[in-house]
Amino acid sequence: MRVLLAEDELVLSDQIKSLLVAEGRAVDVVLDGDEAHFLGSTEPYDIIILDLGLPNRDGISVLKNWRREGVDTPVLILTARDTWSERVDGLDAGADDYMTKPFNMSELAARVRAMLRRKSGQTNPVFEVDDIIFDSRNGRVSKNGIPVDLTTQEVAVLSYLIHNSGRLISRTELSEHIYEYDGDRDSNTIAVFVARLRKKLGPNIIRTIRGRGYLIDAT
Amino acid sequence: MKLSLRTRALIGGVISAFAAVGVGVVLLNSYIDQVVMKRFDQALLDRHTQVVVALSYSATNPLRVNDMVFDPGFERPYSGRYWQISKSNGEVFTSNSLLGEALAETGKTAQITVKDAVAFGGEPIRVASQRVTLEDGTEWGVTVAETKVELTAERRRTQQSLFLAFALVGLLGVAGAFVQTMAITRPLQILRADVAQRWERDEELRANDYPDEVSPLVEDINRLLERNREIVSRARRQAADLAHALKTPSAILRNELTALSERELEIDASLDALDRIDAQLSRSLARMRSANSGFATKSSASVNESVQRFAPLFSAVAERAGKTLQIDCVEDHSVRMDSQDLEEVLGNILDNAVKWSNSQVNLSAAVFQGTLEILVEDDGPGIPEEAKREALRSGGRLDCSTPGSGLGLAIATDILQAYGARLELGVSKGLGGLAARIILPDTVRIAPSVANC
Repeated sequence: MRVLLAEDELVLSDQIKSLLVAEGRAVDVVLDGDEAHFLGSTEPYDIIILDLGLPNRDGISVLKNWRREGVDTPVLILTARDTWSERVDGLDAGADDYMTKPFNMSELAARVRAMLRRKSGQTNPVFEVDDIIFDSRNGRVSKNGIPVDLTTQEVAVLSYLIHNSGRLISRTELSEHIYEYDGDRDSNTIAVFVARLRKKLGPNIIRTIRGRGYLIDAT
Repeated sequence: MKLSLRTRALIGGVISAFAAVGVGVVLLNSYIDQVVMKRFDQALLDRHTQVVVALSYSATNPLRVNDMVFDPGFERPYSGRYWQISKSNGEVFTSNSLLGEALAETGKTAQITVKDAVAFGGEPIRVASQRVTLEDGTEWGVTVAETKVELTAERRRTQQSLFLAFALVGLLGVAGAFVQTMAITRPLQILRADVAQRWERDEELRANDYPDEVSPLVEDINRLLERNREIVSRARRQAADLAHALKTPSAILRNELTALSERELEIDASLDALDRIDAQLSRSLARMRSANSGFATKSSASVNESVQRFAPLFSAVAERAGKTLQIDCVEDHSVRMDSQDLEEVLGNILDNAVKWSNSQVNLSAAVFQGTLEILVEDDGPGIPEEAKREALRSGGRLDCSTPGSGLGLAIATDILQAYGARLELGVSKGLGGLAARIILPDTVRIAPSVANC
């Protein structure tokens, strides 16, 4: 799952990025409104965390522009502007959630997870596919009740496929959602991650549709 | 207390009207007196001349003067009009009207004299007398008199008419002063109404709509309004900048503390202190914003609009938690509050209610004797008495380290008090939980428009 984090305070953006990366997210950090608008409009993010007090362009105007341009990526506003009027203004501008600073990291992580679940139409944070259980709250996976040890990248691939179960995912799309903007997007490594997942979770959990991509059947 | 402009103008108008009427009465009365007396004396002198001429033709028999000077007044007894001729040897001839009486004045000088005298019986008379020498060398004292009774009565009648006329003029003067006062103070009254209306709509007053004397005042009011807006806007900007400047580092600190706790370091005391700082900061910033609002700006906000804006958000929050938010028909009341402040009050109270309710939150509004009351009730456990008292004490220090300690209610109290409104906390009769009552008195409430819900 790929996240755009628009936050001009470097220390805070590093903290948030570390949190999200630890959960298997690919995170792009931008420090101003113009850059946020550009990346949000051109890259396929799964969620955007947006500060309102950004340099160059205010977060609300960036958000309104995205919505006007048809960008429907879920947006979580994370700001020091904490009046109720500002909250409603932010939600009315097209935000899906609103958090005020200071905040708890665990709450931010939970809200991001909830927004990703809502996007994929899931309500339960625990996904079950056959005998595989994936807990999106902590990235833990078990097979027949036995914990399976996965790397961060393997969790990222499984998480994206399982959040989009029932939908065919191309290698390109998969790489766009598990790598950062500046990351080395070698589609061959995707095949390697899928092969490792099959080895650990069983050969039938991820189906390959030749020449088109991968699919986890909807349960 | 200073006298009002209207009272001053009225008093001034009345004084000037009475002064003008008084001086007018005195001057006109004196003039009329002079004219009437002059005519009276002239008529007296003419009669004296008639008698002298008649005497010159009948010096041998002065009694013939009665026949030659034909005037019924000289014939009618005690008519008030008399003549008297006295010969140098002391012989006296009089008009028939004297009936044998004699006048005291007999004419002692060749120069004719006219003066006041008293006739028999105390009757005031005007007398013209002269000593004349006829062609035959005889000397005669010729006196003609006329009673002043009729003259005095005539003067009194004239004065009465004059006083009546001037009293009417005086009344017209007072009425004129009143009308003038109304005309002069009318632009000020319009200005007052305009200020009340346009401040509420946050519009500028147009100096050209007022007379030249008032337009500089209008421009001053506009400048004052603009300055108020700038002050409020600057204070809000500063509050927002301060919020950003403090809350982001606070978030960083909190995250660092959380990271330390993951390494099993003791952070409870630090986290508690940080919670206090954050809560006090939130309250201080809210107070900073509202302290500069109050009546410094004459903005208005619609209760219905704010409720409708919040309805989807809080309904969704309640629904996600398996609760219900019911909003009863809220008439479109407007209040003299900044909309952000009104929404901060409503938001905090609704948030508190939804958070602590078990399953139901109701919002309703009604007007009681000019006071608008917005009631938010829930079926939760309510809040402890201590927290309730502290929340209602504007500016009070609050233990903000525990959730549900009433920070939102304290902020709402601070904001409402800045506008002369208040928050009451009680027990909900219908739902059994907390009943938060926002009391907006008629100084804050604007008459409702059409219900819109």
